[in-house]
Amino acid sequence: MPSLLIYARAVHFAATIMAAGIVFFAVCIFEPALRGAPSGALAATLRRRFAWSAWISLAFCVLSGASWFVLTATSMSGQPLSQIYSQDVLWTVLSQTDFGNDWFVRLVVACALGGTIVPLLSKNGPTSPSLKTIAAVLAAALVGSLAFAGHAIGAEGAEGIIHPVADVLHLIAAAAWAGSLVPLALLLATAGQDSTSLGMARTATLRFSTLGIVSVATLLVTGIVNTWYLAGSIDALTETDYGRLLVIKIVLFFAMVGVAAINRLRLTPRLVADENAKATQRARRALCRNATIETALGAAVLAIVAALGTLPPGNHLTQHAAAGAIPADASFQHIHGEHGMADVTIEPGHVGTVSAAVHLLNEDLDTLVARQLTLALTAPTPGSKPITRSAIVDADGTWHVGGIALTAPGNWTVAVDALLPSGKHLKLAAPIVIDPK
Amino acid sequence: MRLLIAFTTAAIVILAPVVASAHAHLDHASPPVGATVSTAPHDLTIWFTQNLEPAFSTVAVTDSAGARVDEGKPRINGNTMSAALKVLSPGTYHVHWHAVSVDTHTTQGDFTFTVSGK
Repeated sequence: MPSLLIYARAVHFAATIMAAGIVFFAVCIFEPALRGAPSGALAATLRRRFAWSAWISLAFCVLSGASWFVLTATSMSGQPLSQIYSQDVLWTVLSQTDFGNDWFVRLVVACALGGTIVPLLSKNGPTSPSLKTIAAVLAAALVGSLAFAGHAIGAEGAEGIIHPVADVLHLIAAAAWAGSLVPLALLLATAGQDSTSLGMARTATLRFSTLGIVSVATLLVTGIVNTWYLAGSIDALTETDYGRLLVIKIVLFFAMVGVAAINRLRLTPRLVADENAKATQRARRALCRNATIETALGAAVLAIVAALGTLPPGNHLTQHAAAGAIPADASFQHIHGEHGMADVTIEPGHVGTVSAAVHLLNEDLDTLVARQLTLALTAPTPGSKPITRSAIVDADGTWHVGGIALTAPGNWTVAVDALLPSGKHLKLAAPIVIDPK
Repeated sequence: MRLLIAFTTAAIVILAPVVASAHAHLDHASPPVGATVSTAPHDLTIWFTQNLEPAFSTVAVTDSAGARVDEGKPRINGNTMSAALKVLSPGTYHVHWHAVSVDTHTTQGDFTFTVSGK
């Protein structure tokens, strides 16, 4: 299920950013670049291509959004996919949760944006200036409201305001930059081969360059704010899946910035300079190629973003002092007791042969040392005898048991019996959910 | 490439000191986790590290025989979840909570408290 959710999120992020980016490009770059240029067949051709791209993006946005919604409803309710249609779960999620309310508003905004795309990217272009403003605001709302479906919400105090605002700006800037790359590549592939359309290609490239600088600056500042709130620590950046993916995302982002810098500092001046027709055309083709490379890097970034949203952020490590983030397919239980706590991870968390890891903690969340530890797992079926195993401790103080055969899904009972150096036993027990295979 | 490495290193160094939240975890509870209280509490309240979704967050309090001693659906306000309790006799009570945070993630956990009655 988490992998399906990652796919749905990846497609939704990409489609939303594309749809919003095309609108931003049309309003802020393309239409102004046409001023003074002989508008005609070329402009109509480009508008038609932008319109098709926007409609396809919007369709994928709505379909992947619906998938994301259904998958999240199953996870929030704990009901299997087959049950949520018959138990009003979807309606409860839509009407009674922040996520559902956000999704309802976003669906309305997506429909309204579709309504503005028709006149905005019609053959003759937008006739009313207010239409362009409305379209840009709706595009910003569609992409920015994604922030309210993620890790940015839920906190109190200053963080409860600063983090969502930073995330909204981060998403809008990502759409303005990465989402505009495809229409830019389309424009550079189509326009600029003759002297009449070269002026338009030059103006569009210069305007995109300015938009890119503003967007990258916004992404950098808001990215630092987001990471400040979510990563946890330098240790979490290197020792958790969340942190490692975040580092890869940062590296890919700077690779995109590197390509953008080449475009800005080397290729754009060559395109704009009126010295050598061959050099101008080479620069145009190179810019078109680089925009495609940046789009591919941007797609990789979005795939990582899709996975990040399903993982516990790195700060989970510091809160629970566990020896790593919880794997996506694992079952996890945190058991409190009078004399200590245990973080129990069963991986994979479904029927089959699994391994278990137990990390004992004291009330200060430091590792609790034990002389020996026994793990017992009892199946949900009545009368089941517990599977009892002795665990082996590793250098980090985490206890491990491998090769446990779990035969039935449901609420198993996990029991930990640790012999402490004082001679006392720390006994903890709790239910833990095992999924069907 | 050197510029890229410098930028990445700078970004990671800048991000070093951090505070954070996401996913609702138990912060503290009343009666406290693992505590022994002399008088039977009328309510159980749990504070979480994040705001909760009332529609899907639950808590069940059971006695040593496994019988429910809470009055049903908990009251949820922001990051707190409260359940009214029946009259508790001395003994150890097991609390199982299931929290769905507003960022849609689910967490669950267990703890016990004891009523000594002395």
